[in-house]
Amino acid sequence: MTAKQHELLSAFVDGELNSQELDELLSLMSTDDNAKADYQRYQLSSDVLKGYTNRSQPVDLTARISTALADEPVHQLAEQQTRKASVISLPDWFWKQTAGLAAAASIGALAVVGVFNQPQTTATPELAQVEQVQTQTAVAASPNRWTVGEQEVEDRLNNYLVDHNEYAGASGLFSYARVVSYGEE
Amino acid sequence: MRFLLHALLGLSLVLPVMVSAADNDEAVKMLERMTEAAKTLTYEGVFAYQSGKNMQSIRIYHRADARGELERLISLNGAAREVIRSNDMVTCINPEGKQVNVSRRPLGRGFPSDLPRRLNSATPFYDVNLGETDRIAGRKAHELVITPEDEYRYGYRLWVDAETYLLLKSELVGSDGEVLETFTFSSINTDVHIPEHKFKPQMSGEEMTWHRSEPEQPLNTANLSQEHHWRPAWLPEGFSQVAYQTRLRANNGADVEQRVYSDGLSSVSVFIEKIRARHSHLRGGSHVGAINAFGTIMQAHFVTVVGEVPAVTVEKIGNSISFADAQQ
Repeated sequence: MTAKQHELLSAFVDGELNSQELDELLSLMSTDDNAKADYQRYQLSSDVLKGYTNRSQPVDLTARISTALADEPVHQLAEQQTRKASVISLPDWFWKQTAGLAAAASIGALAVVGVFNQPQTTATPELAQVEQVQTQTAVAASPNRWTVGEQEVEDRLNNYLVDHNEYAGASGLFSYARVVSYGEE
Repeated sequence: MRFLLHALLGLSLVLPVMVSAADNDEAVKMLERMTEAAKTLTYEGVFAYQSGKNMQSIRIYHRADARGELERLISLNGAAREVIRSNDMVTCINPEGKQVNVSRRPLGRGFPSDLPRRLNSATPFYDVNLGETDRIAGRKAHELVITPEDEYRYGYRLWVDAETYLLLKSELVGSDGEVLETFTFSSINTDVHIPEHKFKPQMSGEEMTWHRSEPEQPLNTANLSQEHHWRPAWLPEGFSQVAYQTRLRANNGADVEQRVYSDGLSSVSVFIEKIRARHSHLRGGSHVGAINAFGTIMQAHFVTVVGEVPAVTVEKIGNSISFADAQQ
């Protein structure tokens, strides 16, 4: 398991994933059985620590989230004006459950061991559907920001944007408008 | 009589060519005056920035006097983002993220004084023509139509104030004629005194996180020797390097090298950043407005191409960059 995937998993249990990262995690879970098994062990350990012991089977939140996403096509279409609305609008139970697990994640003893080799980009049919909606969304609303998921990458690109603007050609005096209106929809 | 006929015939053949050349010259002159006006005039106004379905209103203050240039842009919708440019600094304020980024500007102005020469060097790659006379923000404006000769650059339609030569409206045009970005003044005042306090940011800096990036000492020989390592093997015809600088990035201390390539009108920056720790980076293309970026990782460096050119251009440049070992 790469450090990044580990971060992803613990952030998920903390309820701190943004929609892009959630996509990544869901994609990972649905394409890699080892990852899934590790996740389920992780989740079960968390549940035990939190006292949710009446489950004999590990609970798989990711599958339920994927299903919930796939089952909401109408909702997704209605939300197309908002970027990534299909992922943001998770059912309430999800947030309650993940919030409940937040404390468990802070216990460092929960080490997750596993080797993840599979690329995260392969998408299952359900995920393909979600991605499709997102692509449409991007065309419809095309929010004024870099289409990258991670804050770090976005920040770096923004630094570059500022540095490049000094040399932006014919738009001349207007060029910094791109920086000033960055991220507004 | 016969001689006269020949002369007339000859003239009628030459005349259209001359007219078109004169038209082009006049258009290029107007471009020069426009660039000059943006730097030397003091103006205050509100303009709209439209990209796709996004529309922003932005207020701009610009003052030019003996002390140099001072400029402030502030977003009027949503988060009150600001950019303040003084002679040597660019300060970007993001009130939502409570962040202030300050970077030192390269020596002189981004587009330097050899602009006329460079604009002339651009003309083989663009068709520059005078368009109609129009009215923008209550002012009479001349339209310039700039059409690229190949698919590696965008076209422009610029509306230039007939009186002051200030750029009043600008459209960036894609290869299929689609308008990718529009900037338009809705109101502008060029006959104005702008008091000092108008250039102060709205936010007090106390709650903000400040990031500063500083240029490195030019005498850093280690970096000078690195200077020629990174090379794009491919650039659109007419593009050449117009600037080079290195900086230390504020938040992680990483070395960032920037090379700017331009054909005189469009420009592309290549950023090379040494990877300091385990980080992720853009792989492939992304864009904001009409600015395209292409990222890749090479020899433990983030390599990123950024420019107001089509996606295919940044991608082709990005894919052609190679690292040449000093020993070779």
